[in-house]
Amino acid sequence: MTFAQAAEEHLDDVYGYLAWFTGDRAAADDLAGETFERALRLWHRFDPKRGSARTWLFQVARTTALDHFRSERRRTRREQLAAVPERYEERFPDGLAADLQAALGALTAGEREVVALRVVLDIDASSAARILGISPTNVTTRLNRALKKLEEALHVAA
Amino acid sequence: MSQRDLVAELRASRITSPDQVRERVRLIAAADTRPPRRFTARRALVIALPVAAALAAAIVFTQPRHQAQEQRVAHGEVAAPATALQAQTDSGAAKLAPITPAPPAGRVVNYDAFLSLRVPTSNEISNAVKRALHVAASLGGYPTSVHAETKAKRGTADLTLKIPRQHVQEAVTRLSALGTITAEQVDLQDLQAGINATNREIARLQKQLAALRAEPQTPLTERKIAALTARIASLQRGTADTRRTAHYATVNLHLATPSTAAHATHHGPLHGLGVALRWIGIAAVYVLALGLPALLLVAVGWLAVRTIRRRRENALLSRA
Repeated sequence: MTFAQAAEEHLDDVYGYLAWFTGDRAAADDLAGETFERALRLWHRFDPKRGSARTWLFQVARTTALDHFRSERRRTRREQLAAVPERYEERFPDGLAADLQAALGALTAGEREVVALRVVLDIDASSAARILGISPTNVTTRLNRALKKLEEALHVAA
Repeated sequence: MSQRDLVAELRASRITSPDQVRERVRLIAAADTRPPRRFTARRALVIALPVAAALAAAIVFTQPRHQAQEQRVAHGEVAAPATALQAQTDSGAAKLAPITPAPPAGRVVNYDAFLSLRVPTSNEISNAVKRALHVAASLGGYPTSVHAETKAKRGTADLTLKIPRQHVQEAVTRLSALGTITAEQVDLQDLQAGINATNREIARLQKQLAALRAEPQTPLTERKIAALTARIASLQRGTADTRRTAHYATVNLHLATPSTAAHATHHGPLHGLGVALRWIGIAAVYVLALGLPALLLVAVGWLAVRTIRRRRENALLSRA
């Protein structure tokens, strides 16, 4: 598989993951480009025997997103806005119910990430564990916790 | 909303990338004009490891020959110059010829010869001793000391033989045929000058004695005559002893089977492998003793770094 083929095939998934992870479509636009630039530089390290190209691209996307989060945190500190954390302009997929959008907004990035990987993108537990750098059990625990939180938020809203 | 409905709704809400992002990624992918790397680290290892192994094997397999020669010198089996010659004879490149200078005719000399021979087996030691004694006897000589010792495959013998001086060359030649010469030495000491001086002293004393005998015999004269006579007799006995001793040459013969070190030069085909394994074992012990604590430290460090990184990451993601 060439890099171009992998990029074409998995762009939507990577973009969706970044959008869910950051909760910011504009940031996801930029990060998707950065992710594929980085992936192109590292493509020689990709080994199909160790995992699929999709999983590998998610790992690259996650590193890019974490760098983004870190730089954002530094920026807010520098601007002395840490007391009032800047919220991303959360834009989840169109068509979601308003109460679900609100409930999603209450999740942390880590919780949104596991929901995106396991539920939205339907990635199996072991691949998700590899992307997140944790055990499959931890992935399941984190997912259950996030879904429960969402459920509770929706009940409250109802 | 149940959790099942929630999951269904979330799954239905997949996001597709905007056109501008897709276009940008296509441009990035189009820049991938690099050919796949042919020389990767793994391929380099595949080449480097056999090369390193071959080098190590070459070093190990060429080592024992030199080591054996060094051991032979270290054991001091024979004197250093002879060892070098022995090494030559081992390889068959050169053989020592017996050194037997002829004793000077008409002069009294002390003749000492040392001969070191290598015989192939310990059984040959006793045969060689018997033949050496036979050589001495056949030339009119005799042994003054014989010491032979054999243990398992090794054996040594030391003989001191007295050989009539006129037959010493023949004796050394015949004795050297008992084995391979590994060392030899010949010492010649001229005694004629000392004998000549003693003869002159005797002549002087005899003149004094004749003069005393011509004088009227008094008790004092008689005592002087007795003293001179005893002195002359003593000097004559000494001269006779020297001539008798010099009549025989002393031949010291050392016989030995090849040493353990010499055996080491004729190892089997798997000896190098054994040596290599031994050194690998020694290296493994060192690596374990030194490397294991270092490895543990690295592992602990790696775990600590990973834990810290995860905590920071969790903290970061719990805020966002």
